[in-house]
Amino acid sequence: MRRFDMYVPANFDDLLAYIDEHPISNEIHLIANGSDIINRIQRRQLKARTLVDLSGLGELNYVKKENGTIRVGALTSISDLIDSPIIDSRLEVFREVASKFGGPAIRNVATVGGNICAASSSEDLLPVLLVLDAKVRLRSKGNERVIPIEEFLKGKRQTALKPNEILVETMFEEVGNRSACAFEKIGMRNSLIIAFVNCAVYLRVEESYRIEEVRIAFNRVAGKIPARAKVTEEQLKGTTITTSNVSRLESVIRGELRTSPDFRASAEYRSDVACVLLKRVMKRCIHELERR
Amino acid sequence: MVDSAEKRAFPEMLLVGKNVERLDVLDKVLGKPIYTMDIVPENALFVKVVRSTHAHARLNRVDTSKARRYPGVVEVITAEDIPGINESTALLPDKPLLANGKVRFVGEPIAAVASHDPAIADEAVDLVEVEYEPLPTVFSPIKALESQAPQIHDNGNIAKHVKLRKGNVEDGFRQADLIMEGSYVTQFQDPTPLEPEAGFVIPEPDGSVTCVGSIQSPFHVQTGIAKILSLRPDQVRVIQAVTGGAFGPKSDEIPVDVLGMAAVIAVKTHRPTALAYTREESMIGHTKRHPFVINVKAGVTKEGKLTAWETRLVADTGAYASLGPLVIIRALFHATGPYVIPHVKSDAYCVYTNNTIAGSFRGFGGPQAHFAAESHMDEIAKKLGMDPVDFRLLNILRPGTLMATSQMVDEACGLEECVERAVNESGWHIKRSSFAKENGTRRHGLGIAIMYHGNSLGPEGSDFASIHMKVDNDGKIGFRTGMTEYGTGAPSGLIQIAAETMHLPISYFKLQPPDTDHCIDTGPTVASRTITIGGRASQLIAEKLGQRMKDIAAELLECKSSEIEVSNGNYSDKKNSERSVSYSAIIESSRKRGIELDVEGTFTAPRCVYDPETSQGTTYLQFTYAAVTAEVDVDTETGKIDVTKMVTVYDVGKAINPLGVEGQIEGGTIQGLGYGIMEDLVHKDGIVQNPNLADYYIPTSLDIPEIKTILLEYPGHLGPYGAKAIGEPPIVLPAAAIVNAIDNAVGVRLTELPASPDRVLSALRRKNVHE
Amino acid sequence: MAKHLLKFTVNGKDHALIVDSHERLLDVLRDRLGLRGTKEGCSTGDCGICAVIMNGRLVNSCLTFAIQARNKELTTIEAIGTEKNLHPLQEAFMKWNACQCGFCIPAMILTTKLLLDHSPNPSEQEIKASISGILCRCTGYYKIIQAVKSAAVEIRGND
Repeated sequence: MRRFDMYVPANFDDLLAYIDEHPISNEIHLIANGSDIINRIQRRQLKARTLVDLSGLGELNYVKKENGTIRVGALTSISDLIDSPIIDSRLEVFREVASKFGGPAIRNVATVGGNICAASSSEDLLPVLLVLDAKVRLRSKGNERVIPIEEFLKGKRQTALKPNEILVETMFEEVGNRSACAFEKIGMRNSLIIAFVNCAVYLRVEESYRIEEVRIAFNRVAGKIPARAKVTEEQLKGTTITTSNVSRLESVIRGELRTSPDFRASAEYRSDVACVLLKRVMKRCIHELERR
Repeated sequence: MVDSAEKRAFPEMLLVGKNVERLDVLDKVLGKPIYTMDIVPENALFVKVVRSTHAHARLNRVDTSKARRYPGVVEVITAEDIPGINESTALLPDKPLLANGKVRFVGEPIAAVASHDPAIADEAVDLVEVEYEPLPTVFSPIKALESQAPQIHDNGNIAKHVKLRKGNVEDGFRQADLIMEGSYVTQFQDPTPLEPEAGFVIPEPDGSVTCVGSIQSPFHVQTGIAKILSLRPDQVRVIQAVTGGAFGPKSDEIPVDVLGMAAVIAVKTHRPTALAYTREESMIGHTKRHPFVINVKAGVTKEGKLTAWETRLVADTGAYASLGPLVIIRALFHATGPYVIPHVKSDAYCVYTNNTIAGSFRGFGGPQAHFAAESHMDEIAKKLGMDPVDFRLLNILRPGTLMATSQMVDEACGLEECVERAVNESGWHIKRSSFAKENGTRRHGLGIAIMYHGNSLGPEGSDFASIHMKVDNDGKIGFRTGMTEYGTGAPSGLIQIAAETMHLPISYFKLQPPDTDHCIDTGPTVASRTITIGGRASQLIAEKLGQRMKDIAAELLECKSSEIEVSNGNYSDKKNSERSVSYSAIIESSRKRGIELDVEGTFTAPRCVYDPETSQGTTYLQFTYAAVTAEVDVDTETGKIDVTKMVTVYDVGKAINPLGVEGQIEGGTIQGLGYGIMEDLVHKDGIVQNPNLADYYIPTSLDIPEIKTILLEYPGHLGPYGAKAIGEPPIVLPAAAIVNAIDNAVGVRLTELPASPDRVLSALRRKNVHE
Repeated sequence: MAKHLLKFTVNGKDHALIVDSHERLLDVLRDRLGLRGTKEGCSTGDCGICAVIMNGRLVNSCLTFAIQARNKELTTIEAIGTEKNLHPLQEAFMKWNACQCGFCIPAMILTTKLLLDHSPNPSEQEIKASISGILCRCTGYYKIIQAVKSAAVEIRGND
């Protein structure tokens, strides 16, 4: 363990002022908790000079609903997220993610904001937020902007955050009557799982199950971060989806995936299983809609 | 969970055969500070190790000057600072404590930095400058066998080659109607004790040292540290602190590595010095299971009788041999599986590569050997169109038959009953026929694997154990032995045996921590020998001490000591039971009269004699037998395997503490399950890719099957009350049973471990392509 | 390097300490307060061995900086039971041979105590889920689960 400084902001304005004067860089990092940073320091992947502790900013821990938009504060833990009554049965997808997210202790400290800013394929919330077309609110001293999460994620561990900015909130529309959202993940074991492949789907249909809107995301599509499979989405729009014709999705998605291997799994495996998970998640969405 | 253990030779006993609470667990449930890093002295220095970043290189320059100057650094050592011999080994003299002129694996220790603040030591590690001259590398043991491969040690890449020759395999193959060949590959499995390796050394004013650590074999450490410091062994005191799991790496040279580096610094600085491995360091630096490549060629008649078995086993021992030469011997002896085969030819090689070091790990060659043998048996059965159980029963070892070593199986062989009980309990026939009718994407399978396990060191060394029992000042019988507790419960079992022998309650005994100053050498705590060899010693010494106490009672009661009966702490005259003296009265009397209630002694097992050229003879003094079934759920679209049920039937000879035995079986089974489907310490160009518990997957509570454990008792001739070794056997079979179950479920034979989802799906893909 | 004043409550007792920025909660508990029942298994939050209860929730103390525990209430294994008055879980763990090497036991006891406090009659699946973030290499989890079931019955019987 190495030594470094920790700045504890007195309040939110103090934080903004601090990072305005001491922009985020290779040596200055914002942390909600130690999980990501301690891991990287232990593996000698990072040399930090100063950490900025956000954990005291309770005002960033909330789940609200306003005019059909769900707003989640960046410092909301996974446990707090799923405990919120606003995350109701239409948003059961978050409980699906949580149930396979690390273990109980991890869920108590991992934050929504931390997940998003880590920008890596092992962050399970990202595919779900991508298919919910989430946006993120970024604040700096004297400025605020809202951008789509897709624009926010630039590459592995690279985000659109300016050096004096902090992600404060993510927002997405609630899931309507003719919409459903689901998620699945597969790894080597049944707890403390690092996904080989995960998949999230958002589906909105017309009366006859003609697809009005479909959004599909995987932990990896062509790069090393979660992303939407837009080519597949485009091909599916306007078509009719039922549990029996779900299989034809496979040829469509296969064309779009450009998976790469690592020591956990081969490229072929990742592609094969992505297709399987897509079918399964799609079926679950359809069942959910049929149930209603 | 336990079916009633069959009581064969011994009548009901007071303690042995009962579930007795262990003596060490109160402190554990209260979270007392009892492990090594809980008791480090106040002013200790902390050590961080500088490790090689090259897999094979000459060290042209190691410059510690910048590190030395770093504020807060107290000392930096390299090979030059070692006062004695720069060696830290298990068996062969092939490994230095700190690299000297050459490194042979990524992670090899080159230097060590000490500071009062571990964070400072860690920062200073980066300031040690090392100039490497890369040498050609080899990472495959098969390639390392080739003559043109880079030579890792001066004597070549073969650390050891052992042979087994029984009969004449060519004759055997001629007699066969069917000859089947197969090739099986296993992986590096990391032992992963939850407490990483740790130790501290206190330099004493008289020039001696006291070493405290997470250790399996205190006397091995004593010898090793004495050599490194150029001291006599009696100047090195080694105490085992409570140890948080071991499984092998804490038995051989690794504690000598840890304590050796700390000791050199402690002696140089005159400060207590501690070294605790990080998890990453532990996984890179400690010994792990040898990967094996095993080729088999078997001959069988069309009726299903095995006639010949030829096998080559190649073990990757990594950069240093550790106990590799002994691992291949155990693998060699068990390579055919527990079957009667008239003609056997086996060769096993322990081969150096530039991977990290393989050495002792629970099972010690048994899991690898049985994975190959039991997979191959299923393949032969399939080819013959026979049920795998029927095929096994046609060939299994029974009393009076000969093993591959020509050792005759004695009557203490419960193997056949193990198979029968496993078959019944698992619903073998009904399930397999219903599984065969399944279609759909989720398929089920049921597989079986059976084993034998030679008990104790056998040919691995002189097998002895020493116990020292003495009534201490507090009136309790202090039980001192060099045999260590690290989770097995075995030392408590030794006390159970002593208590049984003396007819005294267990609460009268106190287990003292192993301390080389207070016990005599008892050999290593390995090879599941604590209950077997240690238990015999316990009986012996308890008998002696018990007799002494009876003698005193007899004097006090004015009768013969043969007439003394002991019950509940009271020694009474059999002829007149109202006349009795208490345990305390006897202690009192002995003190008054200056009679020592202090007995120490050793039990030495008979030597095993066999011909090292052919491995024919007596290789072990008794055997544990077992049969294990596994039921699996295969997701044919993702390749994911869930093991849903297992039946584990073990012939344990005599269960000294049934709950304790069950605990060993359950824990070992889950380690074996991990070995079978999820554990793989991946090396790429000699670099471990996943030296952490995020990406090295050991089973969690959500990965365990329903388990039914059945204990059978066919008492052996070696252990106390006929007890057999049970520490290691449970890890041996699960992988084979699971892989056989997968074959039953989906008709694919996985020949490489672990049976990961990727491998399963890949095999299914290949099968579907060909159909 | 900046130091901080850390005020927090541990096992019901208030503390005020000066801590370094980089000190972890695990380090402060063990080395400053001498509470060495909490162990270090992997340093990266993957094994759960260092788990403590913070404001009523389980957290990995190796992933929490000491200063992040300010104004919070911590519970460690030392607050659970005494030699003369063991918690039913501790008795059950001893009786059922749930402790082999013991290294995971403090975390297991804290976790399952939290479970039983909230869910006095847990199913086997619930018990398994509650300990799913803690690795044990010795027992295969079976006897730990059995001990929790047994303790739950004991506790319900006492109410």
